[in-house]
Amino acid sequence: MAEARKPRSASGSLMTHVDLTRLPFVRSMLVARGPQLAVQLAAVAGLLLVIASGLLGTPVGSRNPATVLVWIAWWAALMIVAVPFFGRLWCGVCPLPLPGEWLQRGALLRPRGRGRGLGLPWPRRLRGLWVQNAAFVIVALFSLPVLTQPRLTALLLAGLVLVAIAVSLVFERRSFCRYLCPVGGFIGLYAQAAPLEVRVRDPRVCADHTTKTCYTGSADGYGCPWQVFPATLTSNVSCGVCLECLRTCPLDNVAIRLRPMGADLRPSAPVRIDEAFKSLVLIGSALVYAIVLLGPSSALRAAAAAVGSPSWLVYAAGFLLVTVVLVPGLFLAATSLGRSAARRRLSANEGLRRFAPALVPLGLAAWAAFSLGFVLTNVSYILPVLSDPIGLGWDLLGTTSMPWTPVGGTLASWALVAIVLAGLAWSSRHIRAVAENLTGGVRMAMPVWGFSFLVTAGLLWVFVA
Amino acid sequence: MGLRRLSSEHLARIALALVALVVPLAVSVAWWGANRSTLAVTIHGRVSEAGGWLPDTLAASVGSPLQLRLVSDDVVHGFAVGRSDADPLDLPPGQVVETTLTFDQPGTYTFYCTRWCGPNHWRMRGVIVVSGGSPAVAEVVDPLYESLGIDIDALHPASAIPRVRPSAERGESLGVEFPEGFRSRSDFIARPPAETWQSLRLDSSTRGLSDSQVWDLVAYQWRSTTTDGALQEGQSLFAQNCAACHGESGGGDGAIADAISAAAPTHLAGNEPPSPADFTDPSTMLGASSALLQGKILRGGMGTGMPYWGPILTDAQLWSLADYLWTFQFGETS
Amino acid sequence: MTRFNRLLPYVALTALAVVVVALVGLPSSSARSGGVARNVRVEASAYAFTPATIEVDPGDRVTIELASTDVVHGLHIEGYDVNLTADPGQPATVSFVADRPGTYRIRCSVPCGPLHPFMSGRLRVGPPSTFWRAMALALIAIAAGGMALWRKPASPGARLAPS
Repeated sequence: MAEARKPRSASGSLMTHVDLTRLPFVRSMLVARGPQLAVQLAAVAGLLLVIASGLLGTPVGSRNPATVLVWIAWWAALMIVAVPFFGRLWCGVCPLPLPGEWLQRGALLRPRGRGRGLGLPWPRRLRGLWVQNAAFVIVALFSLPVLTQPRLTALLLAGLVLVAIAVSLVFERRSFCRYLCPVGGFIGLYAQAAPLEVRVRDPRVCADHTTKTCYTGSADGYGCPWQVFPATLTSNVSCGVCLECLRTCPLDNVAIRLRPMGADLRPSAPVRIDEAFKSLVLIGSALVYAIVLLGPSSALRAAAAAVGSPSWLVYAAGFLLVTVVLVPGLFLAATSLGRSAARRRLSANEGLRRFAPALVPLGLAAWAAFSLGFVLTNVSYILPVLSDPIGLGWDLLGTTSMPWTPVGGTLASWALVAIVLAGLAWSSRHIRAVAENLTGGVRMAMPVWGFSFLVTAGLLWVFVA
Repeated sequence: MGLRRLSSEHLARIALALVALVVPLAVSVAWWGANRSTLAVTIHGRVSEAGGWLPDTLAASVGSPLQLRLVSDDVVHGFAVGRSDADPLDLPPGQVVETTLTFDQPGTYTFYCTRWCGPNHWRMRGVIVVSGGSPAVAEVVDPLYESLGIDIDALHPASAIPRVRPSAERGESLGVEFPEGFRSRSDFIARPPAETWQSLRLDSSTRGLSDSQVWDLVAYQWRSTTTDGALQEGQSLFAQNCAACHGESGGGDGAIADAISAAAPTHLAGNEPPSPADFTDPSTMLGASSALLQGKILRGGMGTGMPYWGPILTDAQLWSLADYLWTFQFGETS
Repeated sequence: MTRFNRLLPYVALTALAVVVVALVGLPSSSARSGGVARNVRVEASAYAFTPATIEVDPGDRVTIELASTDVVHGLHIEGYDVNLTADPGQPATVSFVADRPGTYRIRCSVPCGPLHPFMSGRLRVGPPSTFWRAMALALIAIAAGGMALWRKPASPGARLAPS
């Protein structure tokens, strides 16, 4: 039976976690490799279908599984359901790194001796989030043609698979996922908001365990592919929910738990500067995407789509200016303005790194609302595309000729507003908590609230004005 | 490990092989099979700049059905065979539309796009070469403008222009009988209206009429030699095929006019690239005969961007269109 | 802190939020009678509607003429059930009474190329009241998050826990 564990922290406050792996059925399903592999194979099948139909099927974006199943179905499921409620669970079944990983391990299930590959450690210089920040921005700049043309989507996915294979054969473990994947940086940041976590039950048990098989591996499983040390794991950012540590720990000390949403966002801890920057780049990107794709200016959209042209260069410069300079600069100003309210000396850098996690709920809400709006408009493409995946005139499900039916109306508009405002409220609460922790109080929180309000205003203007 | 007992790892690998092979194999076989099918020909439709109809040449035999699978690769296109009375097919992007054509006579048939898909929409044409059967003996008939010796590329300024818009209704109410040589349809289509006006002006039967009233007679001559049905057909043909360039009100200012002018390589007199003709301008229209107009439509504009409609429109349709064009000069304005 | 005092912020903010959302019938936006006739010619090209935003008052009789300039485009307005299709040279027209205030998305309903899903405009009937109400609610959200939902920790310097 699952017991709601109520351990008390050093300060005596209550934390509520539900340990799902206390349920024998849940634990055995997660430890067994079969169920996970089954889901992974389904994901691989989906990826192959998407690549094949993207390369061979119709070039019409609204009728090809490559564009519809990836950017409408999968993206919406990811941003609206998977990440907010299950954290990095998708990473545990994502098909992109799997071919490389299987080659690297030389096995699909339990370890069977050495696989292929050099197993080199990832270069120290390239660790951290800067590479992923850059990868995300670059992909974002080229995204409009990729989103709308099946062939380009297929080539992007095939390219990522090939890069992942190459990286897996040169470097150790899941270096691609941890340090390169553009989606991964995104998911990792927002996974902090989710109510699901993988943690050790009692760190003292880990301290006494000398072989640390959760990191080094054993006959039962591989050492953490995400290069994380489970005993000291306190945040969802880098844990890819691959469940290896659940299998390798001989002391049954690893648990999958439900916890309050946003528990990884701690008002008392500053984050590293690269993580703070990621948080700012992502919220800036959400705003720019919303304005470009859903806003009233078709000239802006045309510029974003005409990759390589002079107008696109202007758009790219503007995009970079806003996401890399303007939004972070504004946030730095906002967090610096209230510094005098603190009772101790606070550097601008520390202020930025303390307040940056507060943007996670609002940023996640921005992406979720943006995705929901887009998906409601285009969800009616999914059944026709499944009915005629390669554009040969099939009618497998009888839905090939279903007309486009956008879902919208007042209810949809208010749903988007509700999501954004929920994120805003939650972020505002965290901002207050950080300000109080820094002894700056409401006066310190005000400018940061102002920043959040500006971002919210921009989003609302695009969604419902 | 004996042959009888497969480890779970091997089962897993078999499952992976099934997935990794079955999906791409199934897709590739289906795709390859569709392209190799001898029963039906798959035709992809793209805007002319991206290739037009692919393939654009088909072969068929008299009497044997030609199965076609048509699919648009970009925007809405349409499919129809020229000079036939079958309804055109709309091709929504990405959706396969099937049809079967059967030919009674050998020859070369032109198929074309029926929904505007850009400035080069009219270039989206292909041919079906039909062999077999016994060809019907058809006498070769010169187009009327050739037998009349009209140079359809020459400028045709009107020698006279009305001050007031002529009205066929007023012309009819005058109750004047047309002189010999102006009564039949062939009389009307051979002569430009300005020339008709000059001749009528000099004739004794119009002595008491004003210049405008003689113009009304010219308008009436047009109206009385054509039918309501022909004008309606002409109107619908104009809307579907001509209005995009020539404008819904015939002023040469259609939505696509700018793109056409920009793309036209040859220039007429002066340095301006030719733009779609303005049917509302009396100084040029009234100097052209119906035969000239019909000839222009039939043969096209020799590189000016004006398509040639000979393989597409039947003779009756061509004349209905030419008749309709006069409504921009003589028609009742609402 | 008495129970009433603890609940007061929640109640006050909730009441305020309800009032804001319910502010449908602002005086300026309910002019049902006396609407004027408005004719708008919308030119559709890949991938834009010109004008992108159509602003009318509630009660106006709106006539929209869709004129396409390059390929076949459609014009769809949800909420008013408007669905037009036009080829270049063959404009299509629809007429309706704008009796429902709000902002409605205009979308192209005929695939016209890669950027087709993003070809959109807006029909604004009356002032954008949803936007202003949402902005007011945003202020309430900040107040709720930053004041009402935030709880002082039991002991000073303690790690703050979610409520």
